[in-house]
Amino acid sequence: MSRSRLRRRLLGAILGTALVALLAAAGWVAYLDHVVTREFQGRLWSVPARVYAEPLELYAGAAVGGDDLEQELRRLHYRPGDPAAGPGLYRRRGGEFDVHTRRVRFVDELRAPVRVRVRTSADGVTDLAAADGSALPLFRLDPLLVGSVFPVHGEDRIVLAPDEVPPLLRAALKTIEDRRFDEHHGVDLRSILRALWANLRAGHITQGGSTLTQQLVKNYFLGDQQTFARKLTEALMALRLEAHFSKDEILVAYVNEVYLGQDGERAVHGFGLGSQFYFGKPVDELDAGELALLVGLVKGPSYYDPHKHPDRARARRNLVLKELADARLIGAAEAERAAQQPLALRPHGGGYVPAFLDLVRRHLKRDYAEADLAAAGLAIYTTLEPRAQAAAERALTRGLRRLDAASRNRDAQLEGAVVIAEPQSGDVLAVVGGRDTGSEGFNRALDARRPIGSLVKPAVYLAALETGRYSAASVLEDAPLELKLGDGSLWTPQNFTRETYGSVPMVRALAESLNLATVRLGLDVGLARVADTLVKLGLERRPALNPSLLLGTVEMTPLEVVEVYASLANGGFRARLRSVRAVLDEHGEALRRFKVEVEAAAAPAAVYALDRMLVQVTERGTGRGATARLPHNIVAAAKTGTSSDTRDSWFAGFTGSHLAVVWVGYDDNRPTGLTGAAGAMPVWADAIASLRPASWDPAPPPEVDERWIEFSTGLATSPGCSSDAVRVAVPRGAALPARSGCAAGGDSLADKVKSWLQKTLH
Amino acid sequence: MATEDAALTRALVALLGALALAACSLPPPYRPPAAGSEPVPPAAPAPPATATPPGGTAEAPAAPAAPSRDYRLGPATQSLVAQARAQVARGELPGASTTLDRALRIEPQNPLLWIEVARLRLAENDAPQAEAFARKALALSAGDPAARAQAGRVLADALRAQRRNQEARELEAQPWMH
Repeated sequence: MSRSRLRRRLLGAILGTALVALLAAAGWVAYLDHVVTREFQGRLWSVPARVYAEPLELYAGAAVGGDDLEQELRRLHYRPGDPAAGPGLYRRRGGEFDVHTRRVRFVDELRAPVRVRVRTSADGVTDLAAADGSALPLFRLDPLLVGSVFPVHGEDRIVLAPDEVPPLLRAALKTIEDRRFDEHHGVDLRSILRALWANLRAGHITQGGSTLTQQLVKNYFLGDQQTFARKLTEALMALRLEAHFSKDEILVAYVNEVYLGQDGERAVHGFGLGSQFYFGKPVDELDAGELALLVGLVKGPSYYDPHKHPDRARARRNLVLKELADARLIGAAEAERAAQQPLALRPHGGGYVPAFLDLVRRHLKRDYAEADLAAAGLAIYTTLEPRAQAAAERALTRGLRRLDAASRNRDAQLEGAVVIAEPQSGDVLAVVGGRDTGSEGFNRALDARRPIGSLVKPAVYLAALETGRYSAASVLEDAPLELKLGDGSLWTPQNFTRETYGSVPMVRALAESLNLATVRLGLDVGLARVADTLVKLGLERRPALNPSLLLGTVEMTPLEVVEVYASLANGGFRARLRSVRAVLDEHGEALRRFKVEVEAAAAPAAVYALDRMLVQVTERGTGRGATARLPHNIVAAAKTGTSSDTRDSWFAGFTGSHLAVVWVGYDDNRPTGLTGAAGAMPVWADAIASLRPASWDPAPPPEVDERWIEFSTGLATSPGCSSDAVRVAVPRGAALPARSGCAAGGDSLADKVKSWLQKTLH
Repeated sequence: MATEDAALTRALVALLGALALAACSLPPPYRPPAAGSEPVPPAAPAPPATATPPGGTAEAPAAPAAPSRDYRLGPATQSLVAQARAQVARGELPGASTTLDRALRIEPQNPLLWIEVARLRLAENDAPQAEAFARKALALSAGDPAARAQAGRVLADALRAQRRNQEARELEAQPWMH
């Protein structure tokens, strides 16, 4: 073989290898190009499902006072101003409002901006008129955006459209993160060299030379791992991205993509959500200091976490403010002023409702794969009532703070949960899963399964009433008893007061939550019947048939208690709890509607008689403190519950308009020293009181008579005759032994006068 | 509405207080003036029974109560019901359902709305839910004979739609249905 042939072969081999390498490189680039375009375009329209609250309905008679209305408008980010100037503005003069609404989509309508005049008194709306002065029968405000369901990797975000990104945010990001963004092509050699030099001098990495584009690529396609190969891929992808998309598309994608913090399981992405998460307002309402804080967070969301490290966050914010002033994006005086301000973070619990969203997610899981919820722009319209949610959060936070201050347990914080529902339809209005209402975490409302104590008693009494052998006036024996259990042990239940009360009418035994009388009643009725009653009222599992079931050793979550009590509040009908009304696609077409569903669960007459007894709980029984906290003369039916050693404090009750269940206890299950009345009841009453409740006042079913009996003896009487006369419902025509010489009428004179007055006045 | 009720209630409380006082100061126990429909109490109290049978024999059953309620729709729900009916007429049943949902949120205790939804469920061929809604309406309308009869008629229709004609006929034979 001659030398020249060898040389030619060698050359050929080298050339061939180079060609293959070149082809491979080209293929690699083409592949990256493909990935970048496909993924990026995909991301551009991939919007998480947005979740909306129930819009507030305004109509003459609606229990929405002037201050309520203004609060609601503020929640919806309406600003005071001249409504003629444009949508999103309102003017208030005393009780009169002039509102220019925004363009807004409801479940069944896309409404263009419109002017509306609302007149209110302190109690509620008195009338409504359109801009031309014509009367409106009703008008609904915008549904409040309460969050989004973005289950992929736990990422949550509120996506901003290009025109929603404030110019100052655009400029600030470039100034702080990538000064030559407008000039480079995805990779900035100069800043890489500068960073390299700085790092070499320092001996370790102090600066990154990444452009915004590279950061975006890293966020999108690559992890945090830093290898040379990764860096090369990142640079190549950044170049391809810049080749295909405009600077503004990339910047807007960055604004929506960047990671800004962690909230339990939920990763906070993008400035739209960042603004809501840290400050509770939309990004276009941020002032310079707030914006500087968010921009500063990009460098290290956990290192500069303003909740955990306020000093670091402040220093970082002030540095950013100074750089913005140096770049003449804001005035020096403004930067100076903003630097003096506190961080002004959103108080926890304002606006974000993780516990309710959790319920929405679970309800939708029955119908949707998680991935579908993250798909193209679904809109989920829920039954959440922001007013009720705020009231529940406020009541729980305040109540727990007060209870903690009075508690001997200095080393632990009490926890709690609240669920509020509309009893007739089963619509869930509010869910609070713990005292830290704004953070995702253990959702006690849905997941804390605890013994319900005396909350079980209504099921015992209902089972008794349904046998037809008992009525509210039946006399029970509250006397000691011993019971041999299946395992041979002896059970000797006691009353909470450790006393016995002898012969007591059923209404009193329930109102005062007497254990001995209840156990005797339950044993007579039969454990199986009590368990069946719980199931038919709405408990999903059949509880074990231990006698201790009668005193509430059965464990339930607050939401499950709501399900059971809803059937009582609903006159014996079981309404399927509903948190979602409808799911709309991105064009506003309904993909799925959830209707009200009811089912007859228990005899209406028996349930009415039971509810009448539960009213006595709040009037004379263990829950009597609740009525004092409610608006004057509001009738409520309720039950207290305390588990053994006061580990759980419960209160469940309803008015004509609201059903609420409250649980208070420690996460580690230690005794609280609180009865249901001491712990959960004030929280319940505070929440309900601020919601302008209507009285519990259903018409008595035709199968019952309303009668007066003595609370202490059960003898028929009249209000004028016995000081402790209480109203009960008994089977129509029932023979009741009467207090000697007392007129034991169906209707008292008082009732007759009342109905006469009502007829006359109407 | 709310203010008027509150004022009425306050007036009543004052009045009832006065009546109670008056009753206590009178030597004989108070007897209502219009005792026509009042069951007469037994002369001497019987010993407390541990259980009271329903429909006891010692007293005559009380006469049917006078109508105590008169359900109507407020202007807001009235306009929604009109809208829902128009939607049904156009064949937009899901839309009508959404509209009535809105009305239910405003007046959840008004049996007329539950009757309306029951009719809609019938139009949707969902007879079991129509029946449940009609029964719910029936329970809510106790005290309002007109609403009760209306709920009864929808219930009968819902039963027939499920081929339960016998039950429907029995229902229609009830005196309160007429």
